[in-house]
Amino acid sequence: MHWYDIIENFDFLMNGLALTLQVALIAITGSLILGVLLGVVRNSKLAPFNWIATAYIEIIRSIPLIFFIVFVHFGLLPYLFGESSSVFLSSCVALIIFTTAYMAEITRAGLKSVEKGYVDAARSLGLSYFQRLRYIVLPIALSRMTPAFVSQSISLIKDTSLASIIGLVELTRSGEIIYERTYHELEILIFIALIYFLICSGLSFVSKKLEFGKFNCEQLNLYTQAENG
Amino acid sequence: MYEFDFETIRASIPVLISGIKITLLVSVVSTAIALLAGIFTAFFRSPDYFIRRYFSVFYVEITRNTPFLVQLYIYYKGLPNIGLNLNPVICGIIALGLYTGAFISEIIRSGINSIHKEQYDAARSLGLSRLQTFRHIIFPQAIRIIIPPLGSQIINLIKNSSLVSFIAVSDVFYVIYKGALGNFRFIEFFITGAAVYMLLCGAVAIVFNFIEHKIKISGRMAAL
Repeated sequence: MHWYDIIENFDFLMNGLALTLQVALIAITGSLILGVLLGVVRNSKLAPFNWIATAYIEIIRSIPLIFFIVFVHFGLLPYLFGESSSVFLSSCVALIIFTTAYMAEITRAGLKSVEKGYVDAARSLGLSYFQRLRYIVLPIALSRMTPAFVSQSISLIKDTSLASIIGLVELTRSGEIIYERTYHELEILIFIALIYFLICSGLSFVSKKLEFGKFNCEQLNLYTQAENG
Repeated sequence: MYEFDFETIRASIPVLISGIKITLLVSVVSTAIALLAGIFTAFFRSPDYFIRRYFSVFYVEITRNTPFLVQLYIYYKGLPNIGLNLNPVICGIIALGLYTGAFISEIIRSGINSIHKEQYDAARSLGLSRLQTFRHIIFPQAIRIIIPPLGSQIINLIKNSSLVSFIAVSDVFYVIYKGALGNFRFIEFFITGAAVYMLLCGAVAIVFNFIEHKIKISGRMAAL
């Protein structure tokens, strides 16, 4: 085995890892904000907007991520700005477009899990729709949704590896660059898999230890497992 | 305004159809592998088996926490290093099947675990054998919880099958990508490819909704 390749190119791999984490962080933040907004709209009764939100969520969720990465980079952004975009920007935009739909669906499940009694009590106290949402429904829903958000973030971190198709030199692509030169693929790939494993399992371990959303319901647990593909 | 030109799409319909065939082949065969792997892994995780249980946990955790693309590369580019050359299509099928199998095993496990232990004890105390208990008490309830997330996992499998184009299998995404790069018609090819995947995923969703509706017991709250 040629484990020496890893030590020799350690800095290069770590640069890739830094880029992976940057893209993941930007995409998680963006899709979390947009996803919660979209989920609230989806769950509301604002006539044309909840249809649009539903259509967006359903359409995005039935198309593979790789389509968004390629076509945001080569189609959407160049068409909007009239010049070719950087791979970093394209990756972030594509991941945000894709993950927003999933975050919105988690938000909807969370909002639906809030018992009707809370809403009725808030209404009888004279709170308006936005006050109910802001002070009663969203805080409960968000705390229940946290495990699902974490597992969606984990799946986003794994998904950043797809950005290598448009040439973003993140962890997977930097590994590729190394083994295209040395031809010792297995060692590098195992090392990369190990890094992803440590990040992702570490994140899920932390979220389990902190016990976010203590009154977490069975339905959300099942949902998390179904969607975390 | 952007001028649409669907003439290039019409010209590439024959390649597109061969791409759809490959995608279907990969999806169907790896669904079978995933179901088998999922059932066996979930079964081996029961507390009766010691070594097999740790092996199952190892398999599920490793598979769930590493990107599918890296796993695919390990099968396709890594294994030849130790003298194991596989055909790209077979590589894709095995990788996809084992990847989805880990998720399916978790779904099956949590479905079975969601049945209260008291029911098992009650059935055993009525004199049912372990097999009878599983067949008549546990399985009928668990399957109704398992079906909906299983459906979305198979939809995920179809979407993930687009990644086999990374190892030069000419599936739908590969055909679309090559067509788009060749003709510089990204929007048109994107719409076509998206429509193909939406049809495939929609068909699976309809089938699973039908099954869910068929086996639903009225009065019992359906799992998500």
